[in-house]
Amino acid sequence: MAKGMFVDTTICIGCKACQVACKEWNGLPAEPSHFRKTSGMPYPVANNFTGDSYDNTGSLSATDWRHVRFIEQFDEQRSQRRWLFDSDSCKHCTDAGCLNACPTKAIIHTDMGNVIVQQDTCIGCKFCIPSCPYGVISFSEKTGTVHKCTLCNDRIHNGMGTACAKACPTDSIRFGDVEDLKARADARLVQLRSKGESRANIYGYTEAEGLNVFYLFVDHPLVYGQAENPVVPQRRLILSSIVTMLVALGIGVAALVKFRERLTGKPEEESHES
Amino acid sequence: MSPEIQSPHWAWYYIALYFFVAGTSAGAYFIGSMEELFGGEKQREISRSAYYIAFPLLLLVPIPLIADLGRPERFWQLFFYVKGGYPYINLQSPMSVGSWVLMIFSGFALLSFLDNLVAEKRLRFAPFAHLYNPIPRKLYALFGTVAGLFIAGYTGVLLNVTAQPFWAATAPLMGPLFIVSGASTGAAAISLFMIWRKRASEYAFEKLESFDRVVMVMELALIAVMLVCAGSTAQPLLTLPFLVMFWGGAVVLGIILPLWFKLKSHNDRYGTDQVIWSYLCVLAGGLLLRISLLQAGQM
Repeated sequence: MAKGMFVDTTICIGCKACQVACKEWNGLPAEPSHFRKTSGMPYPVANNFTGDSYDNTGSLSATDWRHVRFIEQFDEQRSQRRWLFDSDSCKHCTDAGCLNACPTKAIIHTDMGNVIVQQDTCIGCKFCIPSCPYGVISFSEKTGTVHKCTLCNDRIHNGMGTACAKACPTDSIRFGDVEDLKARADARLVQLRSKGESRANIYGYTEAEGLNVFYLFVDHPLVYGQAENPVVPQRRLILSSIVTMLVALGIGVAALVKFRERLTGKPEEESHES
Repeated sequence: MSPEIQSPHWAWYYIALYFFVAGTSAGAYFIGSMEELFGGEKQREISRSAYYIAFPLLLLVPIPLIADLGRPERFWQLFFYVKGGYPYINLQSPMSVGSWVLMIFSGFALLSFLDNLVAEKRLRFAPFAHLYNPIPRKLYALFGTVAGLFIAGYTGVLLNVTAQPFWAATAPLMGPLFIVSGASTGAAAISLFMIWRKRASEYAFEKLESFDRVVMVMELALIAVMLVCAGSTAQPLLTLPFLVMFWGGAVVLGIILPLWFKLKSHNDRYGTDQVIWSYLCVLAGGLLLRISLLQAGQM
């Protein structure tokens, strides 16, 4: 039975308890700070902390497996405003780009449908990083391997939910069987739409063949920093291969035409003296 | 807020250099074997030079590839899944298939290299010389070419099957472009080697030149179509340093200038300084093309 998470962003309060719980359970260190001299500043500044928002990490990384995004929206007159949150993590795709790209079988699906990186098998080739349509998986200089959310693989295989879901004070993040979570998400969607939230939508049902972690958004996915129409990048493999083979064939014909002597009726010559 | 696809931060001095060296080796092998399969004795120097280049270049290849890994000491796990205890290949991953084919191609390139040495009587290893005659060298030239073309092209396919906007938008043309560019740099490398060996006939040079002209026109056409496909994702190519590297280096210096020179100096003697420079330009352009396309996708 596939396990997953349903993130109802409409009841997220942006407390970042999930970020903290994730770090604590998984023993993730603080983001290494990259202090740098900046012009106009008398002292070095850590350039990887945003400092202009409650969003403290800006993105997911090898040590931040969960990231709460803060989205401030105003209308043109600045009279209406709303504050959206999106607690983001690995989506545990059913057809995962990172897993498809991995040349060493370091990235695998477990029996519960979560996608994990086997740290002792990863060679740090980094091919999975651009192969993730959501920018989730990240490289750690410290370990020389890639890291991402495991859906708390150790917890869920011992009958517990994920640490983030456990810590969430509003149950905005729920862990469970994907089918149950979908039923809950559908019901919530109907409820929100009936209250006039016409832009409410579920992100993750159809995106890239379905995600085991899906979201309820009340705006366009791009607003939440999510890919609009994500595709599993390996979907381009067959076409790319065929076109490449055709061009290879074409250049082979060009070479044949330019180098041929045997097919023009001239006597065949022995190619090697032995 | 737009989604941020993370960059793999592949080091250009490792990965683009690998793309270039492997592409040139594969291109040279392809030209050499096509000449061996279909050409005659008058142009045999082409395939001789090609085989002399292809294998030594491949010897360089593992260095940057392994150096760019986060855990270089585990590189052999590309071929063997330790946890299962069996050889491993992931057919959906160009990197996995590419690693295997690189080994196969290296095997063929080594055979052709040894074959050359024996044919030129530089290698007199008795057991090998005994085995030499029965070896179906045409057959492995053929298989080697297929493997070589794969090596030249898969690096482009590898970029095309990622989610990086520029690499994704240029699908499916990066593979073809890398093959064509590999053939062009391969031809330039063969020409330089033939000039250095001083054994090739004018005829061999002319054959190679006329092939290279076709290839370069194909390359220009592919770049044009690729840029149209890329659309706004090709934006980085209009900024420094790509303005210089891609347009100045890869397109003008690497293709347009040598092509113009080839067409203008049709009957020039081979081996003059100008000719040598034009080949060096082609090689530099091929390297800059790969650096540009790799780095533009990692901005």
